[in-house]
Order: sequence, then structure tokens, then C-alpha cells
Amino acid sequence: MIQNLVYSKMQHQNLVLSILGLGMVMLAVFSLSIGAFSIPFSNAISILLQQLGIVSGSYTVQETNVLLQIRFPRVLLAMLVGGGLGISGAALQGLFRNPLVEPGLIGVSSGGALFAVIFIVFGASFPWITGLFGSFSLPLFAFVGGLINVLLVYKMANYGGKTDISLLILAGVALTALSSALIGLAIFYADEAAIRNFTFWSLGDVGGANWNKVKIAFLLILAPSCWIMLQYRNLNALALGENEAFHMGVNVQKVKYIVLFMSALVVGVGVSMTGTIGFVGLIVPHLIRLSFGADHRLVLSGAFLLGACLLTGADLLARTLVMPAEMPIGIITAIIGSPFFIWLIINVKKIRT
Amino acid sequence: MLEAKNIHFCINNKPIVDQVSIHLKPGEMTVLLGPNGAGKSTLFRLLSGELLCKQGMVRYNGLPISGLKPKELAHLRAVMPQHSTMTFPFQVIEVVMLGLMLSKKKYPSNTVEEVMKATHTWELKNQLYGNLSGGEKQRVQLARVLCQIWEIKSFPRYLLLDEPTSSMDIAQQHHILEIIGQLKHRNIGILAILHDLNLAANYADNAVLLKNGTVIKQGPIREVMTAENLQRNFDYPIHVETDGPAAPIYVSSLAPNKKSSYTTNFKFA
Repeated sequence: MIQNLVYSKMQHQNLVLSILGLGMVMLAVFSLSIGAFSIPFSNAISILLQQLGIVSGSYTVQETNVLLQIRFPRVLLAMLVGGGLGISGAALQGLFRNPLVEPGLIGVSSGGALFAVIFIVFGASFPWITGLFGSFSLPLFAFVGGLINVLLVYKMANYGGKTDISLLILAGVALTALSSALIGLAIFYADEAAIRNFTFWSLGDVGGANWNKVKIAFLLILAPSCWIMLQYRNLNALALGENEAFHMGVNVQKVKYIVLFMSALVVGVGVSMTGTIGFVGLIVPHLIRLSFGADHRLVLSGAFLLGACLLTGADLLARTLVMPAEMPIGIITAIIGSPFFIWLIINVKKIRT
Repeated sequence: MLEAKNIHFCINNKPIVDQVSIHLKPGEMTVLLGPNGAGKSTLFRLLSGELLCKQGMVRYNGLPISGLKPKELAHLRAVMPQHSTMTFPFQVIEVVMLGLMLSKKKYPSNTVEEVMKATHTWELKNQLYGNLSGGEKQRVQLARVLCQIWEIKSFPRYLLLDEPTSSMDIAQQHHILEIIGQLKHRNIGILAILHDLNLAANYADNAVLLKNGTVIKQGPIREVMTAENLQRNFDYPIHVETDGPAAPIYVSSLAPNKKSSYTTNFKFA
């Protein structure tokens, strides 16, 4: 009886995840063929298959170049960043036991952005950093910034083993305000070249994707995301409370540090590559929970897949709505996300139960 | 044996638990009694490992608690705190199965079903935890805690309960305490904080009276739960009646302005 129950629950979860995964792949292929320069579906698939050594169909050299050098890295980057935002939102909500938490709201994104700007503006004065970390310097810097903010917010909002949610949000607001002031200050002291770099980065969104960025994102977003996924049992236990999780054998401190560090890494790296993109980390875990249940086994992986879908879709809209120009992707996610956030505030009582 | 020796815990230099020594034998149920603010919950949290004491020592089966990892501790004891809230929309069965998170098996044995049927929570299994009533939530939490130590093991284990039946109706209270009592046969020692003195007197083997952070009396239930000891512990007139060493114990008290036929020599301070 109980075996059947658990088995059917697992089957249901696997089905949901497969559908989300399939949807993500289909959206990605769709996204590859649409744009200012349109590539027919069949040709897009042929070009991808050719990369795997399977020759089929016909396509032009120009199509190959657009697809492989511009569009494919862009779609992959959108998927990785979106997935990272989704899963870190889900994990942070689980850790803080609050459905209103979002990487942007508690200052992770702004900390990442601040440190990214600091690196862009002052990085040239410290050539040894670039010498040591190469193209990883910017993402790693952003990670440190995100981490500092998330640890500060956590320390401020926590006392006696409990997290005070109003303190958490106040601390997040304060740190976000401070970070943006410091970003302004850094730009004030920046020279011409640095300002150009900064402008390029801040408008960069997913359009600046290249294979080098994708490689870094694979390493620094996908790997930490997998590590977060492995925490699903512990996060389920934490949903009951930190003390209860400890009673059931969870090393609460260790889980906290894994989730905080890995989320800061995922979000920091994302921010360093695409600028701050809000609301993905907030909406996505909710959609999964409301539709399919609260078990973190499903919520974490599902949030990654749905986040990837959402950002790929948003990017598709961003580059097709005002073709041939492009809209910053952050505008699209905010237009979808803000009304959702308002709806969430109104219905928070119902969701909490 | 779960043993606490001379444990001491201060908050802002005010001792909350002061030089307390108690021990819990497997196969016995001990109740912790005392007025509000006596330090019951703090002592409870020191025993569960949630708080670490600066002086004194808590040992599980001879092992000092400070040397046990959370996982090792969870194999030795299960804890039910006073209140547990659930933020996200988890189903009842998901909450109960959290109690089995340490077991390596992919599919749980019949433990979950047995425990849920025993605690009358099986019919709630597909409901959302947040929609339950207070008493139902308490039974679900108890089911979760019982899952953790339900399977029979060769070594002695312990169950710590902080007011496990406070929101339940009288029938459920008796039913649940009956189940908890049966755990004694599984080589489990039980410690419960209870406020209902009648339940305490009739289900427990031993009692510990705590006042202002110190133990004022401990031992077998019939030696400790006398009118005199309880009055000293709670500063209130309390009457204890029993017809013999095997007969039930009745503990009663009245509103201060009511005339009582009991002859108590208690004077209000």
C-alpha cells in the first residue's frame, strides 16, 4: 500500500520533470530557428546533428555561422542563467522557510552586480587578478559580492536560530540600496574605457553570449546547481524548522552553508554574464509548488528546468518583439514578474498554509 | 541510559537550569513536571542536543553528546518539540515520511502505515498539513517522530516529548499516551513534559519535579507525586487520592475561592 503510494508519487514527479525537460528542449530548438535572421526548423536541426557527426539535409554556411556562433551560445546561456536563478530561488526559499525570498530581494544579485562593476572599473589596476583567474575573474568577483551580501543579510535577520522575515527583507533592501549607491560611486571614479566596459556589461544581457561564457557557465552554474539538488531531503526536513531538522539528523549548519554559497555562486556568475535579471527566482519555484507540490526533490529540479524555459522564452521575446532591435531581457521578466509578485503578496496567507 | 550530570545553563548570567542530574532508563517513562518558567523546556533542549551546556555532561548510552554527529544522535533518539509549523504545502504523508529520512531504503517498509494507523492519521494522509486542526497536526508530528524510532534496534534508544498531547481531546490524549507507553517494550526510554497531572500520574513510571531550574524531587511516580510535593512545586493547593499501590491516582485542584471538603493545610502566600 505505502510502497504503491510512494512509487506513484515518484512516477508523477518523474513525469512532470520529463515534460518540463522536453518543453525546454523544444523551446530551445524553436528559439534557435527564430530571430532577425530566420533559419528553417529542419535546417537548424540538421546543423545541430551535423555537429554530432550525422549528416542530413541542406543548409547554407551563413545559417551555420549564425546558429553556431551567435544563437546557440545565446540560448544555452539563457537556459543556464535562468535555470540557476530558478533553483537558487527555490533553495533560498526553502532555507529561509519563506515564499517571498528571491535572490534579487535579499541582495545577492545587487552584491554580485556591485562586485562585477568594481572589477570592470578597477580590475585593470590589478593585473595579477586577471593573470591568476583569466576569464573566470569577473564571475568569481561577482560570486564574492553575492556571498558577502547573502551572509550579511543572513546574520542580520537571524537570532536564536530563527529567521525574522521582516528583518530579512529590510536588510535586503538596505544592502541593495547600498550596493547601487556604491555602483554609482565606482562609476563616478571610472575612466573612459571602464565606463564603456560598464555600459557594455549593463546592457549586455544574454546578447553578449559566446562559447567562452557558456563554458564558464556550464562549470560554475550547472555544477553548483547539481550540488543544491542533492540537498532536497535536507531542505524538506528544514521546512519543518531548523530544530526539527536537527532532531531528524540533518547537519543544519552544513546545509545552510552549502545552499548560501552555491546560490551566491550561481546567481553571481549569472549576474556577471547577463546583468541583474529579477523575478525568475521568485516566480518559478512558486509555479512548481502550486502546480505539483512542495517536495524539494521536484521543486529544485523543476525550478531549474522551468527557469531555463522562462528565460529562454523571455530572450526569444526580447529579440523578436522589436526586431531587428533588441529589448533588454530584464524588462520582459519584470513585466511578467511584477504582477505575479503583487498577486503573491495578496494571496500570501493562502500559500503559507 | 540517557544521563545528565550536574548540567548548568545560564541566559544573561541567570541560571535557567542549575546543577540538574537526571537519568532515563530504557523501558521506563519519566515525566518532567513544574510550573511555567521552571526550566523544563531548556532542560529538554539540553537533553535533545539542541543546546549544549557549558558545565556538566549529557551522555547517551555512555557517549558524551558533544561528540555525536546529528545523524548519530538521530539514530539514538527522536524528539517532538512543542510547536512545529510548516511553511510550504506539504501533504501529511510527506511530513510523516520525513521521519524516515535517515533510512537508506528506497521504499519505506510498513513503518509509515503502521505508525499512521496507530496515531489515527492514516485517513489524513493525502491532506495538506496546513489545513489540519491543532490536534491533528500534533498527531501527524507525533507520527513523524515515532517513525524515526519505530523499527526495533538492538541498542537502547530514547524518545523526548514536549507536551505531546496539549491540543488533543481527552480520548485522543489517552489513546496517544497508551501508544507511547507501548514503546517501552522496544527498549526505548521516554521523557515527556506534561501539564496534565492526572495523565502524568497514571502513565509514567517516574517523575521529576523541577522548580526555578533545580530538581526538588525525583523518583518513582507514587513517591514523588504526593500532595505535599506537588503543592511545594506549584505553590497551589493540590489534592492526590489513590486506593492503593495498583489503583489509579486522582489529582485534583479547585479555584481559590471555592470551598473544598478536602483537608489541605495549604496557605496562599
